[in-house]
Amino acid sequence: MFVGLPGQGMHVHLDALSLLFLGILLPQVVAGALAGMRNSPTFWVFVLGMGLALAAADAFTLILGFELMSAASWLLVLRGDQKPATLYVGMAIFSAACLVPAVFLPAGSIAFLLIVLGAGAKAGLAPLHFWLPRAHPAPPAGVSALMSGGMVKVALYVIIRYGFVVLGPEAQPWWGGVLVAAGAASVLVGALRAMLETELKTMLACSTVEHVGLIAVGLGIALRAKAMGDATTAGLGLQAALLCAVAHGLYKPLLFIGAGEVKHSVGTTSLNWLGGLARAMPRLGLLMLAGAAGMAALPLGPGFAPEFLLWHAAIGAAGTGGIVARIGFTALLALLGLGAALAIGAAVRMFGVAFLGRPRTLQAAAAEEGERGPLIGMALLAALCVPVALLPNLLLDALSPVIRLLAPQAAQPPLAYAPLPLAGLAGLVAVGAAFILYRHGVRGSREVPAWNGGFGKPPPWLPFGDPATQPSATGFGEPIARAIGRGLLAPGGADPSEAFLLAPLARLHLRGVRVAERIRRATIRQRLAFIFTALVAFLLALGLGEGG
Amino acid sequence: MSLTFSLAHLMGGIILVFGFSLLSQRRLAAMITIYQIQAFVLSAAAFWQGYAQHEVNLYLTGLITLVIKAIALPIGLRMIVAKFNMIRAVETAMPVLLSTIIGVGLIGVAVLVVLPSTLSAVSLTREDLAIALSVVLLGLLVMTTRRNALAQIIGFLSTENGLVLAAIGMPGMPFVAEFSVALLVLLAFLVVGVFLFRIREHFDTLDLTGIEEIERRGR
Repeated sequence: MFVGLPGQGMHVHLDALSLLFLGILLPQVVAGALAGMRNSPTFWVFVLGMGLALAAADAFTLILGFELMSAASWLLVLRGDQKPATLYVGMAIFSAACLVPAVFLPAGSIAFLLIVLGAGAKAGLAPLHFWLPRAHPAPPAGVSALMSGGMVKVALYVIIRYGFVVLGPEAQPWWGGVLVAAGAASVLVGALRAMLETELKTMLACSTVEHVGLIAVGLGIALRAKAMGDATTAGLGLQAALLCAVAHGLYKPLLFIGAGEVKHSVGTTSLNWLGGLARAMPRLGLLMLAGAAGMAALPLGPGFAPEFLLWHAAIGAAGTGGIVARIGFTALLALLGLGAALAIGAAVRMFGVAFLGRPRTLQAAAAEEGERGPLIGMALLAALCVPVALLPNLLLDALSPVIRLLAPQAAQPPLAYAPLPLAGLAGLVAVGAAFILYRHGVRGSREVPAWNGGFGKPPPWLPFGDPATQPSATGFGEPIARAIGRGLLAPGGADPSEAFLLAPLARLHLRGVRVAERIRRATIRQRLAFIFTALVAFLLALGLGEGG
Repeated sequence: MSLTFSLAHLMGGIILVFGFSLLSQRRLAAMITIYQIQAFVLSAAAFWQGYAQHEVNLYLTGLITLVIKAIALPIGLRMIVAKFNMIRAVETAMPVLLSTIIGVGLIGVAVLVVLPSTLSAVSLTREDLAIALSVVLLGLLVMTTRRNALAQIIGFLSTENGLVLAAIGMPGMPFVAEFSVALLVLLAFLVVGVFLFRIREHFDTLDLTGIEEIERRGR
């Protein structure tokens, strides 16, 4: 990829990597358009920017597309709320300030670090992820879906394109270490916050931070292994990262569009105000269940194969390098396990609190099934999830040209996880059990006292039951908050990067503003004195310099 | 030849002493008088340099200095003082002792800067330049330490005297530069005079603290 300048015209070229990411983008765009964004020109400019960034063959076109994407998405976030949009645009400017010099620098470590800073901030890699749980939930659901599923992928594409292809010959093993560290921190913080967050869309955005972290860990392991000449681990890491990107690009937009439908129907997305939606919105509930299965990385779901591969890659990486690297990757395994457990918890909590149980409010009780368009979009995404979930082997074969492009020497071992026979076996067992129950089970019905699902008896003045007798989303998260959250999150449950990075920056900014304001308000005599002092200091420096 | 040097240095020294006493003088009328004497000495220095360097231009400079700065400007300043009834006005923003100490420090800075950095130059210009820079810095100090607009103008004029002193000590300085500086000072004086009358109309005083207060409140 050459630099390219405005006078030279733009160059577009599609190779296997670009095609893969465009393929990830396409179903989301269709679903987002179906979810009500069809008539918004800004939405299509946003899509165009992403497409341009993915198809670019020179750095100038890439940056142009990337910034077009940022600007259009800022306008779309602005439709939701002003504060997150301001935070978001600040982050976008920071990312541009890192990326623009990076593409003009000679290939080397500084260029790579700037790329990771700029694109990583855009993708939501820790510790620059604090904007994501605020900005992604703000716009309409179709845009949230595309931002969470598509835009972070474009940023990751920039990291992949530069880390593996453009700067590939200069790659050092520690580059991968940087990505792994940032990714591991994202996994931990994202999963933990997803488990504790009580706002549905914010919780989904936190889960996006976690999945971006997983992809970055895979990429980092592959980059390190490639630089060290470890063919198997490089192949496994790339397989894991790319498969995770494909899967996440399907189920996360699905969940976001579903959250938009919930908001449309109930009027809120706060989990503490929902409940029992599966009864009122059965189709939406089913589709959200499919998405939650993907998010939880359960076996037979679309999210499991990437995690499986990632564990294999981490185990492979733990067997190479010095003692520090071995200990680090072993710790990474434990951390990935914790992240996966928290992700399951978050998915179960989300579905259980919002869609099962009893309605917690009148609005939730009066919910109606969502509109046709968004449901069709969600169904499309869910249908695409099925082959990803059941036939990951075929998908990996399709990914092999991309992996050959990124790491030509990487070995691509076949996947040791076959969900289709597994699903067949499970189905066989279920049919057999049903048959045995039917043949030998107890006939007739039996009267037993109602267990009532663990609820207390509703008081007569509350027809839907007392919400307080049902555990809330906050209540489900509380044990985790006490066990892990206190140690990892900032006081009050705030995001650590917000408390330790954003807040000091804000204080610094305030101090700078005060100084500037004092300078601006200076009187004539103070200004004279200032210039005079500067002159004397200059003269003194000159005299001392000459004399010495 | 040695008489040339010593007389030029003597006159420079006298100008410096007057610049210094400008700093410690608190009454406006006395400041104007000091400024006037400083300008007289400056014109004499210009005449002497013209005689020593055999330059007609320097006689012209001396003449301009004499007419504009030693006669016309003090008359104008006195008229303003009489008009505003400020003959007995006393004001400073800084204790006189402190400003005097700072002034001594500034002269040290000027010597420290000029003497080492002009080692290769002729000795006539070197000491002259140090004195001239001291006068400029002292004038700037007067401008920053005074509250009264008129005192600030006198500081400004004294700064300009230092510049002219540097110019006449430098052989080969074009006459245009000195002439334009003199003209500029005259114009600046006219403009500032108009401003003084406007300020006086609005605030009944030439103390700039009032303006500063309004600036602070207005924003």
